[in-house]
Amino acid sequence: MDLTFTPEQLAFRDELRAWLAEHGPAGSLGEEPDDEDESWEWRREWQRTLSEGGWAGVHWPKEVGGRGASLTETAIFFEELGRSGSPLPADVLGILLAGPTLMSWGDDAQQERLLPTILSADETWCQGFSEPDAGSDFAAVKTRAVKADPDDPDSDWLITGQKVWTSGAQYAKWCMLVARTGDGRGGQEPGAKKHQGLTYFVLDMEQEEVDVRPLVQITGSPEFNELFLTDARVPQSMVVGGVGNGWKVALTTLMNERAGLAFFLQVRLRQALDRLVAVAQENGSSEDPVISDRLADLHLRTEALRLMAWKGLTAIEQYGQPGPEGSLTKWLWSETNQLLVQLAVDVVGAEALTADSRWGYELLRARGNSIEGGTTEIQKTIIAERVLGLPRAS
Amino acid sequence: MRFDLSEDQQEIQRAARDLLGGRATFAQLRTVVAEKDAEPTGMPDLSRTPGEDAALTAELAELGWTGIAIPEEHGGQGLGLVELCAITEELGYAVAAVPYLGTVTAALVVQHEGTEDQRGDWLPHLASGQLRGATTYTGDRVPVPGATDAALLLVGDPHGGPAALYAPGAGIAEDAEAVDPTRGHGRIPIPELDPEEELNPRGEWLGGTPTPSGAGFDRAAVVVAAELVGVVQRALDMTVAYVKERRQFGVPVGSFQAVQHGAAQMLRDVAMARVLTYNAAWTADALSAAEDEGERARLAAELPVAAAMAKAAASDAGRTVTAAAVQLHGGIGFTWEADVHWLLKRAQVDAALLGGAGHHRRRIATRTSSVPVPEPTADEPATD
Repeated sequence: MDLTFTPEQLAFRDELRAWLAEHGPAGSLGEEPDDEDESWEWRREWQRTLSEGGWAGVHWPKEVGGRGASLTETAIFFEELGRSGSPLPADVLGILLAGPTLMSWGDDAQQERLLPTILSADETWCQGFSEPDAGSDFAAVKTRAVKADPDDPDSDWLITGQKVWTSGAQYAKWCMLVARTGDGRGGQEPGAKKHQGLTYFVLDMEQEEVDVRPLVQITGSPEFNELFLTDARVPQSMVVGGVGNGWKVALTTLMNERAGLAFFLQVRLRQALDRLVAVAQENGSSEDPVISDRLADLHLRTEALRLMAWKGLTAIEQYGQPGPEGSLTKWLWSETNQLLVQLAVDVVGAEALTADSRWGYELLRARGNSIEGGTTEIQKTIIAERVLGLPRAS
Repeated sequence: MRFDLSEDQQEIQRAARDLLGGRATFAQLRTVVAEKDAEPTGMPDLSRTPGEDAALTAELAELGWTGIAIPEEHGGQGLGLVELCAITEELGYAVAAVPYLGTVTAALVVQHEGTEDQRGDWLPHLASGQLRGATTYTGDRVPVPGATDAALLLVGDPHGGPAALYAPGAGIAEDAEAVDPTRGHGRIPIPELDPEEELNPRGEWLGGTPTPSGAGFDRAAVVVAAELVGVVQRALDMTVAYVKERRQFGVPVGSFQAVQHGAAQMLRDVAMARVLTYNAAWTADALSAAEDEGERARLAAELPVAAAMAKAAASDAGRTVTAAAVQLHGGIGFTWEADVHWLLKRAQVDAALLGGAGHHRRRIATRTSSVPVPEPTADEPATD
């Protein structure tokens, strides 16, 4: 056990802190605008600033513009980003998902064309995985890709179908898109392996055949979109990892999804809890034994989350493979955040149930936490089957 | 940053698990409990404590386990709280019928809150295992493991008031049959410690005068949490093994999502208790090793919260995980024949010992407002 940082890691953190103090929200970045489009531009500008400072792709190799940071340094980066009150960069999908996936599976031409514009936010990304009938059951995607000329293997692909939960699609240049190219029979027949016949594409969003419609959430704001594709065109050169290999490529993307983010989210949770404790002390509700018991429980959970995230990192560094911490932290974080915003109603009072208030928004937004990025039920099943080794449900 | 036991610590834990895997089986536990429950015939062996595995107790003392965290100058091995927790976790995993927990917690309290004389008087005897100990709070809320009249008794105020030490033969421990029939328990019915009043003739104030207690009792609570971590890990392991085997409706019951998700919840509760317990143990060791004044002050402020988080999470997990183990075993889990009930009973006592989850959450609530969130600052890999 050693819960300290090395001198090198401390130096990394201090350099980052100094940079964030100058360029972050307390420095030149300033406050986030309310308007959605302006907020996007603001976060895009923030990513450019990060990029110019060499901080946009800390975990990326140096050859492709990253800092070549270790896992621990990457974790420190996300902790400090959260601690400083800075937002995530606009194109977190490109930096955390598309970039690493292309580095693993993309060919030279794809890497040369696509990687350089990610960190600078010159071209941003969205993720076209989920569909109305393929959420948790992701392998059931129905969106279909066919050859424009069936006799010419080099001809373009024409893609038709519907994708959902595509955040940032209205701003994105590229979409990580999974579509069905082979039979796989969509899982209709017993025994059919529906994850076969999937292919991973990079779709150019700038074409008329791609229709982006905002999807309004229970908060009233359209954080996500729906994507309607009608013969959307993708050249053969934008197939990633080979035709029919989409399931494996997509898993790479999904495995990258949580790396680092857990540290950012954990710090944000801590900050929200600190704000709530401050309100409770100010208005006297912390004297209520039930409320103080709940606040203490949230403190304990938030600490457990931080420690679990570090324990997960240790498992990867020491043994080369992640432990159960990924699913555990996702589950624990979403549940804890929901408990926190629910308790806030009892602590803050009327304001938390008032439309357009910050607490009111968080109360509603948090309901999505246990659904997005893999529902809690899916996390529990992953833990049961892959960590505890229980037999798969028949 | 390495949230994992070091090679040496893993070696200690492996050795403990290997030894106990052979010596402290459930079959052996049943023998010990059966002897205790047998009708007395002839002259009873007064040297033996009912519910205790005498041979194993002697063996652990010979191996030096009782003195593992006691300084070498007092006859111990001078290792840290992390090592002590690693061993105690294994004793919990085995539900070993030994008076270990009382003895090592008593030693921690004497070591960190006693005077030089008190340390010199008692630690060598506790280290050798010749003397048993027991540790509890005032208020008599729980049968205390190891609390017999022959033991050194440490009684503290749960809210940080003074603590007292009672030499063997003080006559304050009463016999008690706990729901956990192993290892031997007693009760110490002291409602409170009044600094104005005279103590029992065999009693003395810990630290010489009535002074606020905490540093030793916090460490003791972490060790109880470590035993709970072992107990709940065993409950999880046994449950997972059982639901893979047990078939109903033609399939293993572990393939049903209701069962799977119950097991996943068990794992999560175990994992939370585990990270918070080892975090607290590490914090205590880092505090002991810290040389810089500021660093010491920071860690000293963190330890009470870290210990309270550990005990709160472990106490809750102790109850929920062992209850889930009985539930997921179904009908057999409710029988004497299945072994999960030993875990449930041990967990119930430990969950209440040295403060339950509610008590420790109250401590967190009163302290977190003034205590900054822990944040790694030092780079000394001192207590690897």
